[in-house]
Amino acid sequence: MIKIISLFLLFTIHCSLFTVSYAGEAPKRIISLAPNMTEILFALGLDDNIVGVTSFCDYPEEAKKKQKIGGMSNPSLEAVVSLKPDIVVMTIDGNPKEFEERLRSLKIKTYVFRSKRISELSQGIRDMGTALGVKERADLLAREIETTINKISRGVLQYAPASVKNPSPFAPYPSPEKKILFIIWPEPLIVAGPGSITDDAITIIGGRNIAAKSKSAYPKYSIEEILTQAPDIIFIGRGMGMEKVSQGLLKKLKSVPAIKNKRVFYVSDYLYRLGPRTVKGIEELAGYMEQ
Amino acid sequence: MKIKMLIIILISILIFGISLVIGPRIINPFDMDDISREILFFIRAPRAVVAVLMGMALGASGAVLQGILRNPLADPYILGISSGASLSAALAILGGLTFLGTFTVPVFAFTGAVITGGIVGMMGWKKGGLWPERLLLAGVGLSFLFSGLLMLIMSISTDEGLRKAMLWIFGDLSMSEWSRIPYGMAFVTAGTVISVARAKALNALILGDEFTHSLGFSPRKERSVLFVSVGLMTAASVSLGGMIGFIGLLVPHIMRFFIGSDSKLLLPASALGGGALLCIADLISRSILPPMELPAGIITAIIGSPYFLYLLRRKNVLSI
Amino acid sequence: MSSASKPMILELNDVCFSYSKVESLIYNLSFSIGEGEFIGLLGANGSGKSTILKLASGILKPLSGDLRLWGKPLHSYMNRDRAKLISYLPQTLDITVPFTIKELVSMGLYPYDIPPAMSVYDALEMVGLRDKEGAHLADLSGGERRRTFIAMTLLQGAGLLLLDEPLANLDLKYQVELIRLLRKLRKDRNISVVMALHDINIALQFEKVVLIKDGKILGIGPPEYILSEELIRNAFDVDVRIIRQQGEKAYISYENNF
Repeated sequence: MIKIISLFLLFTIHCSLFTVSYAGEAPKRIISLAPNMTEILFALGLDDNIVGVTSFCDYPEEAKKKQKIGGMSNPSLEAVVSLKPDIVVMTIDGNPKEFEERLRSLKIKTYVFRSKRISELSQGIRDMGTALGVKERADLLAREIETTINKISRGVLQYAPASVKNPSPFAPYPSPEKKILFIIWPEPLIVAGPGSITDDAITIIGGRNIAAKSKSAYPKYSIEEILTQAPDIIFIGRGMGMEKVSQGLLKKLKSVPAIKNKRVFYVSDYLYRLGPRTVKGIEELAGYMEQ
Repeated sequence: MKIKMLIIILISILIFGISLVIGPRIINPFDMDDISREILFFIRAPRAVVAVLMGMALGASGAVLQGILRNPLADPYILGISSGASLSAALAILGGLTFLGTFTVPVFAFTGAVITGGIVGMMGWKKGGLWPERLLLAGVGLSFLFSGLLMLIMSISTDEGLRKAMLWIFGDLSMSEWSRIPYGMAFVTAGTVISVARAKALNALILGDEFTHSLGFSPRKERSVLFVSVGLMTAASVSLGGMIGFIGLLVPHIMRFFIGSDSKLLLPASALGGGALLCIADLISRSILPPMELPAGIITAIIGSPYFLYLLRRKNVLSI
Repeated sequence: MSSASKPMILELNDVCFSYSKVESLIYNLSFSIGEGEFIGLLGANGSGKSTILKLASGILKPLSGDLRLWGKPLHSYMNRDRAKLISYLPQTLDITVPFTIKELVSMGLYPYDIPPAMSVYDALEMVGLRDKEGAHLADLSGGERRRTFIAMTLLQGAGLLLLDEPLANLDLKYQVELIRLLRKLRKDRNISVVMALHDINIALQFEKVVLIKDGKILGIGPPEYILSEELIRNAFDVDVRIIRQQGEKAYISYENNF
């Protein structure tokens, strides 16, 4: 626990150096530049304060009704400025850094969400809550997330500070491992590799990601290697007619245990965004582990 | 020349064989366990066959197009066929279309390629024949239009969809499976056979329409036949595994150095050379950073271009 | 007509042609090419010489009129059959692909399933390029390039050679060499030649000249009879003097233009 606290302290100090804080009242006009930011803002009860979102912000339902300011990687500066925001909330994982610099040069306040991994999520939410003057709600949400994750990882999981020596912020899971593969897209084959939220989730539920040794977070993966590594469970991200698109791939993989034992599951896209629904995604994977 | 051709054939077969054995896992064909057998027959073999077919189609098409367009810079993609295929495939990927199962994207790509080839042919048609300059400009113009549209739909799609479409466009052989091969093989074989059968006319077309006529061919008819056979070969190749650069443009030039310019030898040599090069590029792309794979098109360009540049400093690649 | 006794290879009767509907390029052109004839098609740039050769070779189809090859309509011949009788060489020979000389010359065999008696080496021998078979066009002189394609037509076996400005851009030495070669081929193999020209002095060396202006024939016949100072002035828009000296062929002087 002390470790966690010290990590939190470190983050708080780190973040407060770069961001603005709203001590008392929440800013009235907030623009979100990423779908996960929008989800967090809604979860923090800032529904009415949000004046602009990206065209990818589709959750919750009300987000779709908000004014659009462009995409994540190419938001419109004019659209943002014309909405006269009190603060623009953005993420280092998807928004261009130059855009933040541009906003600041125009004297528009920004808040940059720096968490990229599940281990950093709850602290990221706390920091954001503090910065936006909704500290208590953020604390509540963060604690909820931590509790769920701890429950799923059956208390075995320890938060450990990420470092060069320890690139994964999780201590290894001691119990017998299930070999897991998470397929993002079957054709060409893209899987969740090291450093992705999905990879974190697999570790949390006590599995071993067979793609953990890849060189990138979303590598183009070798089908031969899957046959060699023989995963016990295959998750496939749902959506865009995935059941049909994945048939060709699954036919090629028909001899691996996951397919022989019918342990191929189509799962929701919760794990593609680091936000309040990420834990639901972890729960969903964990549910299939129990089966 | 016959001996050189024999050497090219033998090297191609050798490369094909090696690409079956080597990969993230080395397979000894005389001592295989179940997984090795499965990898060999259902993953590597169809993949190597697709690599050979695509490479053949691109190499032969490049040699034909450089002749009928009388332009050493011509390649199968200059006619816009690939950008039409990419646009159509991207629409299928980003639109989540799946009504043809795993055949959806290849069929879309093929259709897009054939339609584009048809439009280019119509634009290049005047006074009862296809005109090289018109074909080239129509192809380039249409390429720009389709690339623009492709970028448009990619920039308004999600980042994730964009990545998928990008990967398809870069070329991917990993999903090769036996079921698609007969179609690809039919088009590529037909295209290659027709082209080789018209090799004399192609030689004449390289000299110009007046020579072609004087030597007893109808330049318009010959150019149209060759254009259609190249269009179908390229369309089949793009639908088998996306776009692979370099081969169509540079393999014919490299082969000219080895075997001379006579299309009767150059066409089969370019087909074999293209097939062998793509086979070896795919071998490298899947073996160099396991368990990751790299797009084969990147490898063809990286290993092929320096060699071509070296040859360019020597004689006989161009007559100038 | 004095040439009536010789059989005609190609006859053009009342041939008209135009690329656009607005203006015609060739008006009511009639002339014939007899066996073994050596004809100079003389005219200024843009007078229609190339178009006439293309019509005669069959690449262009006339709008009206009649072309007969050995008595039969030219366009009723199959491409391959016609190719065994007529050979056409365009003016520009820009070829980016590095064919060897041997490869180029052997294309002359394309109209044949069974190769004729002459071999590639015979043809190269006849034009004096036997030792250049492995070279590329880029390695040859202008005159040698022309001779390469003459060898190709020899192999093709055509009795009628249509040459578009074969002497253009050639040094005087190579011009003389090429004409000498063609004359020798006519003697040895009874080949007829129609050659587009714009040098009047060279035209004077031909037995028969067709003088063209704006798509019309100004005169046909032996040059010493038809080439009057007035006709040349009309065709070329320059003042010339024809100088005749006893015992020598006439030649043209342009000096009063300068």
